[in-house]
Amino acid sequence: MGEKPNQANPNSASAIAAAPAGSKSSDLLSRHFSIRSLKLKTKEQELLLRVTVLCLVYVLAFITRLFSVLRYESMIHEFDPYFNYRTTLFLTEKGFYEFWNWFDSESWYPLGRIIGGTLYPGLMVTAALIYWTLKVLRFAVHIREVCVLTAPFFASNTTLVAYFFGKEIWDSGAGLVAAALIAICPGYISRSVAGSYDNEGVAIFALLFTFYLFVKAVNTGSLAWSLASAFGYFYMVSAWGGYVFIINLIPLYVLVLLITGRYSMRLYVAYNCMYILGMLLAMQIRFVGFQHVQSGEHMAAMGVFFLLQVFYFLDWVKHQLNDTKLFQAFLRITVTSAVVVGTVALGVGTASGYISPWTGRFYSLLDPTYAKDHIPIIASVSEHQPTAWSSFMFDFQILLFLFPAGLYFCFKRLTDATIFIVMYGLTSMYFAGVMVRLILVATPAVCLISAIAVSATIKNLTQVLRAKPKIVHSGFSKGGSSAKTSSKGSLDQSQPFGKNGAIALLFGAFYLLSKYATHCTWVTSEAYSSPSIVLAARGAHGNRVIFDDYREAYFWLRQNTPPDAKVMSWWDYGYQITAMGNRTVIVDNNTWNNTHIATVGRAMSSYEDEAYEIMVSLDVGYVLVVFGGVTGYSSDDINKFLWMVRIGGGVFPVIKEPDYLVNGDYRVDKGAAPKMLNCLMYKLSYYRFGELTTEYGKPPGYDRARGVEIGNKDIKLEYLEEAFTTSNWIVRIYKVKPPKNRW
Amino acid sequence: MVSKIPSLAALIPLFLLLASTVADSDLAAELLALQSRSESGVIHLDDRAVSRFLTSPKTPRPYSLLIFFDAEHLHDKAELRLTTLKNEFALVSSSFIANNQHNPTVRSKLFFCDIEFKESQSTFGLFGVKSLPHIRLVGPDLKSPKDSDQMDQADLSRLAESMAAFVESKTKLSVGPIARPPLVSKMQFIFMVAVLLICTPFIIRRILAGDTLLHDKKVWLFGAVFVYFFSVGGTMHNIIRNMPMFLPDRNDPSRLIFFYQGSGMQLGAEGFAVGCLYTVVGLLLALVTHALVRVRNRSVQRFIMIIALFISFWAVKKVVYLDNWKTGYRVHAFWPSSWN
Repeated sequence: MGEKPNQANPNSASAIAAAPAGSKSSDLLSRHFSIRSLKLKTKEQELLLRVTVLCLVYVLAFITRLFSVLRYESMIHEFDPYFNYRTTLFLTEKGFYEFWNWFDSESWYPLGRIIGGTLYPGLMVTAALIYWTLKVLRFAVHIREVCVLTAPFFASNTTLVAYFFGKEIWDSGAGLVAAALIAICPGYISRSVAGSYDNEGVAIFALLFTFYLFVKAVNTGSLAWSLASAFGYFYMVSAWGGYVFIINLIPLYVLVLLITGRYSMRLYVAYNCMYILGMLLAMQIRFVGFQHVQSGEHMAAMGVFFLLQVFYFLDWVKHQLNDTKLFQAFLRITVTSAVVVGTVALGVGTASGYISPWTGRFYSLLDPTYAKDHIPIIASVSEHQPTAWSSFMFDFQILLFLFPAGLYFCFKRLTDATIFIVMYGLTSMYFAGVMVRLILVATPAVCLISAIAVSATIKNLTQVLRAKPKIVHSGFSKGGSSAKTSSKGSLDQSQPFGKNGAIALLFGAFYLLSKYATHCTWVTSEAYSSPSIVLAARGAHGNRVIFDDYREAYFWLRQNTPPDAKVMSWWDYGYQITAMGNRTVIVDNNTWNNTHIATVGRAMSSYEDEAYEIMVSLDVGYVLVVFGGVTGYSSDDINKFLWMVRIGGGVFPVIKEPDYLVNGDYRVDKGAAPKMLNCLMYKLSYYRFGELTTEYGKPPGYDRARGVEIGNKDIKLEYLEEAFTTSNWIVRIYKVKPPKNRW
Repeated sequence: MVSKIPSLAALIPLFLLLASTVADSDLAAELLALQSRSESGVIHLDDRAVSRFLTSPKTPRPYSLLIFFDAEHLHDKAELRLTTLKNEFALVSSSFIANNQHNPTVRSKLFFCDIEFKESQSTFGLFGVKSLPHIRLVGPDLKSPKDSDQMDQADLSRLAESMAAFVESKTKLSVGPIARPPLVSKMQFIFMVAVLLICTPFIIRRILAGDTLLHDKKVWLFGAVFVYFFSVGGTMHNIIRNMPMFLPDRNDPSRLIFFYQGSGMQLGAEGFAVGCLYTVVGLLLALVTHALVRVRNRSVQRFIMIIALFISFWAVKKVVYLDNWKTGYRVHAFWPSSWN
């Protein structure tokens, strides 16, 4: 490039003037040229910066999720991911059709489970595709590593989507900030660290992607974008049950646009294409099936679809008639008949049972007190608890302060896109208040809206800084108010402090954002990276103690029990036992059959002889309980026991909660209820515990998880025998004795 | 129902004037008569009535009595929930009567009664009642009232439903489904539907004309900020868990606890306080960018600006501090280990 003297460089006048000089100087000049021409134009500089920042954010989102691998090891976390891992393994070994038709006899004994028809296959298929791609490229990886890193990989992709989404609703600056915020936002990290191989890991990406494509489609009115959003929706449906949020939010959004008089042809094209194609595609997922036309949760989308047709039809008639009076009469008749027909259709459908009523989970979102009274199995799960303010603070930190500011900016510049993000933010915020786990769904919206606040504020401040003294007039606000102030003609009125104020505010913003980064890193590293299958605690000298009891127990099961042995445990551990112990379980984390779970709950809360009958009838060979009395691990079966009683009592009224309580208190010490002291769960947890001294200065049988001395130290087992207890007593396995000879 | 109680109480001595050697069935009939005078079927007892129906007749009595111990001067203590429980008690009573309408033998087996502390202190002593809320079931065979079954806290937790479950388990009589009065009566419902139907055409016309509250940006903005405030303050948590606004301190009852230490739980006032702190920062930004720029006086502008900055800073600091205190976490940055 340096050889061309005529290059269009604004600073090349001196070079041209010097050209007639000797060859030596021209050599020098050519070097001069090359440096000059490397200097990019402002536009290109900006592009380069943007791409660099995006790349860094992409990498950051990935590596911040690797804390769990560094602190523990590359392993699958928690409960549900073990099922996903097991099915993915099956998929890669046996192929897609085997997977699709898989009847799993190892869980829900004796019922079994049709896996292909009762799961969202998106996650497994995604991981398998990544695995096969890597294999084709000759990377020899184990499928487990792929599963462990799937969630961080998709989190990185989410940052890209967030960038484009932010660009679509505000500007590229807001997009960049949104990408950076969402990369490290704890609300999202909590479900997407390495090893957390769960549906949400890919689903949040799919969710945001669908929304982005839909907003793009509404903005452009192009069929291509709406087609893309239909496919995004398909991916979301295949990945997570949370797709119900999309299929209700988008119609709601369309309805709001209709009511506020923002109906347009673009909206018509986008929604119709997305709804019809998305619906047809979603029906291909067997677990979802015909729910789109049959279940009450999806009826809003259909209603809005027909409403849009009515709107379009009216528009067309108005265009044809050219007579306002006639049109008014026509309008009244059409609207009334449309509403009547819709109501009648819904009523008939519901009454005839063609349209199923809302499910308990959905209902509990709209009427939050519903689950507490009616569905103990939903209320018992810790991630379904309502959210206290401290959880919001923990997961969003500074974003919570920025959120209302962002809302304000959105309302100052209302477009179809900002209306969408505001509605997304507010609905998901409400749902996040109802259930802790839904903070995850709210995270992208909160990040985007806060990014708008950050970006708009900083942009205005830097404009003040860079502006020449004469035209200092833009305050921090955009739009109307700054135009008004400048029209007043007073020069430095709108900015109370001018440059100094702007610098101070910029430092403030920088301080806040760095606090956010610190908080997120700390939370990721300390709170969200625990696999919860390996437990860590601080020893007396500040060193880390690792409890690996779960895996110890599961490997014991795998090595020492007959391959067809049936293991009974509370449903939390079902997936892990089948995946790691390779043994058949009675119930697992897929809580589709309440009666079966209640049967296990009943066995656990009955006396040993009654429980024995239940266990024999279920062919149970081994019973597994989790016990934290030695280590002080508080989420063990004794602390979950009241839920077993409640769920068991919900189906079998012989189990009554008050029998296990003393004056409404749940106790395990001497003052405990007699039924409590002699039920199966108590006996199995505390068997031989009375002989053990757990803490210096305390009597033997001191339970460290509950801080009391246990009430029944002399436990004799008649129908079961201890088979294995792990090194820290966290998992205890008992063998059910065979029935006695009758002769 | 409440207004009838005094007159009933006046009537009881009349019955007592009758000969004391009345057959058991007559006692049951008397109780039925008393029951029919009260709207919910809860019989108001006093000391003499207790001795007549409870202590004097020979066991086994032909009926059980479920007695609610009430003290009107404690009704304003919210944490005792006396009025709620009393209403629920009346609901169980009326449901029991309604569900056993065609079964007089069952109806005369169980009677719901209440006793007021101020009139009947000796009965309170007789039962050994020291704290409220207190509900006792006196079975037919019971000789000493002190041995009667007490309904404990767990049986009150789900209000009428759990009370009914308690009664069913102890007496083997079926109470049946609890008939709660609907939130809106039938007439109100019809009226509301009528009003809605009349309004609909007008609303549709205004929507088409683009001239409703819904077209006003400010309404939406305030709605949005409210939803935000509502959610992040944990109000849903308080509604679902029925959390009180504040708790009395266990060690020092005159002090009140507004902030609960420990994550996953919160009190009502706490949520509102934090929600306000959150919202204040956002609203101040709106104020500064929207209203402040119209102020002509520069020093006023500067002054308000400084105040706004200061308040925002304080609010952020306060919330972060409260969060650390509540959850017990110490957030810190990670530096390269060579820097230490």
